[in-house]
Amino acid sequence: MSNPAPALSARSLRVFIAASDPRIRTNLRAFVLEAGHHAVDSADGADIVLSLVRNPAPEDRLILIPPGGDLGQAGSLAADATSAQLDAALRAVAAGLLVRSPQLTPPGFAALVDSAPETLLTPREIEVLKCIGEGLTNKLIARRLNISLHTVKFHVESLFRKLGATTRAQALAISFERYRLGTIEF
Amino acid sequence: MTVTPGAQRAHPGFLAGSPDPRNLLIWRLYFSVDEPMVDVLTELSNHLSARAASAQALVAAIKLADDFHATGTLWGADILVASEQSLPRREEFPVIAPGGASFNASVVGRDRGTNVAVLRLAEPLSSPVIVQGEAKAGTLALAYGADGAGGATARMGIVNLAGPEWLSSAGGRIDKRIVLDIRLSAGEEGGPALDVAGVCLGITTFGPRGQVLVIPAATVARIVPALLRDGRVARGWLGFALQPVAVPDALREEAGQASGLMVMSLAEDGPAARAGIIAGDIVLGMNDVPAGRFRALARQLGTESIGSKAALRVIRGGIILSIEATVEARRPG
Repeated sequence: MSNPAPALSARSLRVFIAASDPRIRTNLRAFVLEAGHHAVDSADGADIVLSLVRNPAPEDRLILIPPGGDLGQAGSLAADATSAQLDAALRAVAAGLLVRSPQLTPPGFAALVDSAPETLLTPREIEVLKCIGEGLTNKLIARRLNISLHTVKFHVESLFRKLGATTRAQALAISFERYRLGTIEF
Repeated sequence: MTVTPGAQRAHPGFLAGSPDPRNLLIWRLYFSVDEPMVDVLTELSNHLSARAASAQALVAAIKLADDFHATGTLWGADILVASEQSLPRREEFPVIAPGGASFNASVVGRDRGTNVAVLRLAEPLSSPVIVQGEAKAGTLALAYGADGAGGATARMGIVNLAGPEWLSSAGGRIDKRIVLDIRLSAGEEGGPALDVAGVCLGITTFGPRGQVLVIPAATVARIVPALLRDGRVARGWLGFALQPVAVPDALREEAGQASGLMVMSLAEDGPAARAGIIAGDIVLGMNDVPAGRFRALARQLGTESIGSKAALRVIRGGIILSIEATVEARRPG
């Protein structure tokens, strides 16, 4: 709710597309334009980060991450959503609302899965991920966590490797899906 | 290709004059060119349709909306078993019984852990006999659903996998992992899966990606009495949501394990919160059993754990400490 004013106006939103695959990037860019918004080249100053997540979701999903990168607030949309739905979802997420799409197939009765130990993040890596979500640069993350720039870079690289991501926004999107699917109440 | 009439071939020795009925099918195959009226496919088809006709007495449609229903399997004269995930949270559903009569059925209990729901019919029906059996990979399987008008829909395939016991993500113990090489439509979920002898392997349910699983008859038979008695299956509960994390390198040796479960959120006034557990703590184990993985913890929180003390070994701020909580029964909902 920290940033409702811009979304309430009719103006187009600046959407940063986080995808390493150039084909997916081109498709998402066209989709954003079709929905009446701008695709921008940097996560800095973008209103929304848009990414496509393939795994481990049961099907492709669009993840919409609001400014501040709070994964709990990220929206999730079926990959075959209409451009009108994308437009509505982008505006809603920018206004601090939760977006979920009902046409996603239900998850089904599933087994308790323990993820591979080598893909588990350390508490420090989770802290770094949260900083990335707030849009902080490596330099600012180093200052925030009181560690060296070299150490931050080390953690970011390790994050990318464990999550299979190539960009910061993609790492956020993948960890959002993991958080959603991998948190279990006892 | 030329077809040689069977009668002109020499009889295989083992068939000659044998009265063994098991050889009848082979006889018919062998002479099928001469006697098309008894061909094996027709016979197979007739048997299948007879099975479907008798399976009709096992299935009832549970109406979810005007055009939607789920299937319930008649487990007793007035007891209907369904796939828990297929039923919206309601107390009562209209049901179309075998033959087409309408009844109301009330939900007696549901267990997300094993994905079993039990409904009681307003009036008992003639009780079908369910014979429980074990699935074996590679055997033929017949799955039936309710057609919504009192009849049965039928599917045939084979048992794709009959594996060991497993734990569901909701913490239930399922006696066997059974996957069918069968597709189902949504309305057929919850119907019986039978083998060719008519023995019930369990009830069908959708797994991830539309895969068709069977909740084994042994699991249903274990859960139904508990649901009839208590309306739920009590499981141990500590009231925190956990996410697996890697133990920081500096603590790995002292912890004796490489992974733990980080507390992401706490149920207000739940056992963990009252014991002083806070978000960010990393749970390493419970009662001296390492719990670096979900499964290890889930196994310790069965019915018998309720009311017991749980000594939790946690990492907080770089230090390993022990915190004692009292396990409660999971709150409904």
